[in-house]
Amino acid sequence: MSAPVEAKDVAALGATMRTKHPTRPDPSVAMGEPLLQVRDLRVAYGGIKALKGIDLEVRRGEVVALIGANGAGKTTTLKSIARLLPVASGTITFAGKNLATMTPEALVGAGVSLAPEGRAIFPNLTVLENLELGAYLHRDATAMRETIEDVTRLFPRLGERMKQEGGTLSGGEQQMLAIGRALMARPTMLLLDEPSLGIAPKLVQQIFAAIRAIAAAGVTILVVEQNTKVALSASHRGYVLRTGEIALSGNAKELLQNPEIQKAYLGG
Amino acid sequence: MAEARTVEPSPSHEPWRARLRDLAVVAVVLVLAFVVDQTLDRVIPDSSVRQLLMLAACNVLVALSLNVINGMAGQFSIGHAGFVAIGAYASAITSSRLHERFGAGDPTFAHSFLVVPTSLLVSALCAGLAGLFVGLPSLRLKGDYLAIVTLGFAEIVRLTIGTAQISADETAGHAWSEVHGLGSFFHAISVSIAGLGGQNGYAGPHEKGVPAYAGPFWILGLTFILGVVAWRLKFSGWGRALRALREDEIAAAAVGVDPTRYKVTSFVISSVGAGIAGGLIAMMRDGNPTVQPESYNFQSSFDAITMVILGGSGSVTGAALGGVFVTFSVKLIELVQGTNAVQSLKRSAEWLDLNALRMIVYAAVLIALMVLRPEGLLGERELTLRTIRGWLRARQERRDRKAEDKP
Repeated sequence: MSAPVEAKDVAALGATMRTKHPTRPDPSVAMGEPLLQVRDLRVAYGGIKALKGIDLEVRRGEVVALIGANGAGKTTTLKSIARLLPVASGTITFAGKNLATMTPEALVGAGVSLAPEGRAIFPNLTVLENLELGAYLHRDATAMRETIEDVTRLFPRLGERMKQEGGTLSGGEQQMLAIGRALMARPTMLLLDEPSLGIAPKLVQQIFAAIRAIAAAGVTILVVEQNTKVALSASHRGYVLRTGEIALSGNAKELLQNPEIQKAYLGG
Repeated sequence: MAEARTVEPSPSHEPWRARLRDLAVVAVVLVLAFVVDQTLDRVIPDSSVRQLLMLAACNVLVALSLNVINGMAGQFSIGHAGFVAIGAYASAITSSRLHERFGAGDPTFAHSFLVVPTSLLVSALCAGLAGLFVGLPSLRLKGDYLAIVTLGFAEIVRLTIGTAQISADETAGHAWSEVHGLGSFFHAISVSIAGLGGQNGYAGPHEKGVPAYAGPFWILGLTFILGVVAWRLKFSGWGRALRALREDEIAAAAVGVDPTRYKVTSFVISSVGAGIAGGLIAMMRDGNPTVQPESYNFQSSFDAITMVILGGSGSVTGAALGGVFVTFSVKLIELVQGTNAVQSLKRSAEWLDLNALRMIVYAAVLIALMVLRPEGLLGERELTLRTIRGWLRARQERRDRKAEDKP
């Protein structure tokens, strides 16, 4: 019944996904042009400097992976972009707007949706209600129905569990729901925080196949991952963080071949 | 096969036909309430039982309104009586003033159509403003600040009204005409508050009592309609966003729900409901037509919390059941205390404080509930015909299985 998305299906699936927001005009950023720009981002927890000046850029239509060891500052970077952490200094620009002064809930309206770490779904609401809440800001009935259809094609397992409470899903299914819910807002850009965390390897493959399909549909993606190999294989470019700084960056395929990375993160 | 299943989104925009159906339901309820109003004193000749029924309905409103903030929004307010008190005083004043305009005879049913809505509007407005005033600063903070602030607020309301005193020759009108500067302004305010009667309670401008305009028609009709409103609120997009917020604040923000706005709005709605309930309670009494500050002490805030927790936090039908249950159990205990057996026991053992005993029984019941069923009688579920049928079916199946096992 719930056949996983095969690699050959990905492009076709992505091509049929409907991603246009019902009211918000498309940002005037062409494909391949910089959509999100982070300049000299510094964040501190108390006196401890977690980020010591991060520069990164995500171009429209790209999948960019942010990788690195535990405590390197990956999630901190994503959380500051998602406005869940106060920024000490630096700028975060998205399609010409300054995100640094926005509240987390305002970000969704600007076109940036987050699938939070630890599968933060609503456990006592049904899968369908969880998804519908994702469309909370536009509440466009047609767009809702279309995206629910798209999400059930991406994740057939969710389609089988629409009436079930979110808390009864497995870890992998909850992650699928978190991504599906983020898609419901019809974002221009998707922020994914550790989508493979604590999930069975088979489901990790499915989730990353879906991420490829979402990218093929034209949604820009910034993904934070510990699973370096899976993340880089699904991305165009990658940034490697080390103790709050960017140690390496470049084309994802080249990074995968980089001996230093193979040694440090891929057990090669 | 990855087949796309079409899923109907829950209806958020209803067609005009549904609206028409709603109007029809409201009309039927009003007609029914009118029939009950006209026949209630023949069906239930005992006026104290009638009063108890009406009080139960008002307490259902108190519980329903508290359920919005404590159950649905997951915030903890423990000063609900403060808002009920504001509503009660506001409508007591408004209705007695209007009553005087009408020549201060017996309250008539026709006049109640002007007096009750106006008074309740004033109650709702005053309580809602107070809710905004209390909620805005305390709900911006994370943590249990709302509990602390609401507790303090309810006590401030009760004690301010209860302790304000003036010399007999001063009137509020005179004091306000003399205002020139900050000192006399505050003096005028305190004279006005003292005009509420202090510890003895407010009994209208000429101490003739608050007119009993809110008959069974108003109380039963409004309780039903506001109950439906609470139900719709829970299952609306707004209610769903509220429940989302209660479950995970970060995830709620990630879908675009503004936490502070939702918390404050739900607190104001809760206060408005409390104000309406208080307004009705003030206008329904036959025998004791005064509004007294002591009716709104901590005990009554606590009773409201008991109603919500007993029935199940977040459940509309649960809150309604809790409201009825607490009202009748309080009355039952009073009746038991009035019996000859208990009275003679009291005479033989003077050290026995029966009122304290009541609190012990009450606490024991609550503790037992917390241990055996922490989510309340219904949890967050609703009591509907469908759930009852489900229970009956499950019971029947269990019985059938037992019957099969025996032979």
